[in-house]
Amino acid sequence: MATIGLVVNPAAGRDIRRLTGGASVVDDYAKRRIAECVAAGVEVAAAECTLAVMPDSAGIGAHAVSEAPAAVTADLLEIPIEGEPADTRRAAARFRDEADVVVVLGGDGTNRDVAHEVGDVPLVSVSTGTNNVVPTAVDGTVAGAAAALIATGAVDPDAVSIDHGMVEAVADTPTGESRLQGLATLGVLDVEFVGTRAILDPSTVVGGVVSRAFSAEVGLSSVAGALTTHRPETPGGVGFRLGPPEAAAETVRAIVAPGVIERVGVEKWRPLAADESIRFEVDRGVLSVDGERELELQNAVVDVAPIDDGPRIVDVDAVFVAAEGALRTDRLE
Amino acid sequence: MVTIDMEQPEGRKEGLRRMLTIRLFDETAEKRFLDGDIPGFVHPYIGEEAVAVGAIGALEPDDYITSTHRGHGHCLAKGLDPERMMAELYGKREGYCKGKGGSMHIADVDAGMLGANGIVGAGPPLATGAAFSIQYDDRDQVALAFCGDGGIAQGQVHEAINMAATWDLPVVYVVENNQYGEGTPVEKQHNVENLSDTAHAYDIPGFTIDGMDVTAVYEAVAEARDRADAGDGPTLIEAKTYRYRGHFVGDEEEYRTDEEVEGWQREDDPIETFKQRLVDRDELTDEEFEQLREEIATAVDEAVEHAREAPTPEPDEAYEDMFAQPAPEIQHFAAQFRADGGERGDDR
Repeated sequence: MATIGLVVNPAAGRDIRRLTGGASVVDDYAKRRIAECVAAGVEVAAAECTLAVMPDSAGIGAHAVSEAPAAVTADLLEIPIEGEPADTRRAAARFRDEADVVVVLGGDGTNRDVAHEVGDVPLVSVSTGTNNVVPTAVDGTVAGAAAALIATGAVDPDAVSIDHGMVEAVADTPTGESRLQGLATLGVLDVEFVGTRAILDPSTVVGGVVSRAFSAEVGLSSVAGALTTHRPETPGGVGFRLGPPEAAAETVRAIVAPGVIERVGVEKWRPLAADESIRFEVDRGVLSVDGERELELQNAVVDVAPIDDGPRIVDVDAVFVAAEGALRTDRLE
Repeated sequence: MVTIDMEQPEGRKEGLRRMLTIRLFDETAEKRFLDGDIPGFVHPYIGEEAVAVGAIGALEPDDYITSTHRGHGHCLAKGLDPERMMAELYGKREGYCKGKGGSMHIADVDAGMLGANGIVGAGPPLATGAAFSIQYDDRDQVALAFCGDGGIAQGQVHEAINMAATWDLPVVYVVENNQYGEGTPVEKQHNVENLSDTAHAYDIPGFTIDGMDVTAVYEAVAEARDRADAGDGPTLIEAKTYRYRGHFVGDEEEYRTDEEVEGWQREDDPIETFKQRLVDRDELTDEEFEQLREEIATAVDEAVEHAREAPTPEPDEAYEDMFAQPAPEIQHFAAQFRADGGERGDDR
């Protein structure tokens, strides 16, 4: 029997950019409905797979289990829940051994937490916010059905997924070494504090490295994407240093946040091979990962490089292209 | 100009000083209440200091705030004088309400502090009213209401936010989610995981922040104040925080474990973590912090000494300061009381 994992992050998509920009929010009620739809989508192959659901403090997972169609066997994973990102990691570690595919409801941060532990298990990532790069805005039912088609072997996961890159920062500080990994982007910011986490003022970004660059994305991958396109499955990434637009070597227009297009000054940039780092000297600043401020630094030397080792991300449309014919059923007489 | 400029090193030190002042003031009030020295009731703000200081720090000095039954932190963050506050707790004439309000009713309208309040959920309607006056008179101010995780479920809070959202009033609602409404855990009071989700009902922004991080609260309220000031209406902010002490001094706290309390104190203490961040960035030394602590402790002790020695109000003063215009009925009872030779009670 194949197993589909389901990860739901009740905290995802709640940042302050809803106030300062145009980002919208998916509340817990909507997340419950999405999770319910995922369970319903699994019904396309209900006889051959079960759904294992991560519990969460908001009861979204428990709801998906109780509302799953009668034909779908769904159970809550037995793990402790603290209401922290550690919950996601704990669930992902279990799914590494127990699941054939995992559906993730969350943002870039949730996918990053899953990626840390889930190994090669392919992820069907469903965005629960507007401010994401990695997960796609896809209906939960579609995601559940795609996961079922992969889990049961109707579709070969290798043919419909990519190996996503990551970005790593190694910060040498007076108090020791700190490491930080981002899924899509890692930024160096000239601000004092982590604060509310969101990057509120794009002009505070000194530079960064991205594992993917495309103009149609939001945030630092959009900035890099205005310079060059770098596919997430291509090894390496793009590094850049930014400055005031009026003094910079060149400027680009980028979608820096939902609802916000800015002219950004670029001092220098270049494509980076995997593990090729660029160095930032940070007297005082903050590192951001995937659009959120994460680590305050003083007197640090930070080497940032794209690395391999990212998660396998499923292209949902490709699943249904590959599955053409698999959903035909006998005509009722 | 913000009240405390957390973008600058001096402002950050001031933020730390105010948080520590709240901590030491309430630790002392707790002890003096247990001694039987302070009458009435005391609801300590210990553990929640980052919310008051971060929120009020981001306001301009002449902005309004409204408070709760747990109001000492809001008063001190707003810059009220610990000596007059302690006198009020002791029921003395030099207190902010001439000793007639006590811990739960400290107010200083001139300072923009519109009052602590024993009625759960009464702060938001007051702030909505203050915000209406600002809009009506076209003044350049904002009102901010503090409210608890219990208070947000009150009907009048809904009315207050609905009205402010509909009229785009310049107000910010800060929900201090300290995890318990008296003895009831927040998950047994609410169907939503994040109390800011209720903002959708009013079509206003709502978001949840780490209320143990003074910089996060400051930043969030600064953004919400900008929105209010621009005429775009209210914002609902939930600050997740933790009350180290019981609901009131003397609460036996059978609804939670010591381990839970110690976990928050060990990992999330708003003063310790912020102090360490300032030390790490060479803006403060451990010695300076200890010196600061001693200075504040001395000032609080002096406030207690002063409050103990200060005169109590005369019994017939109970009839004063009740209404802005003299009320004939009250004047009648006051005259009768004096005619009966009303005597001064003991010092309590």
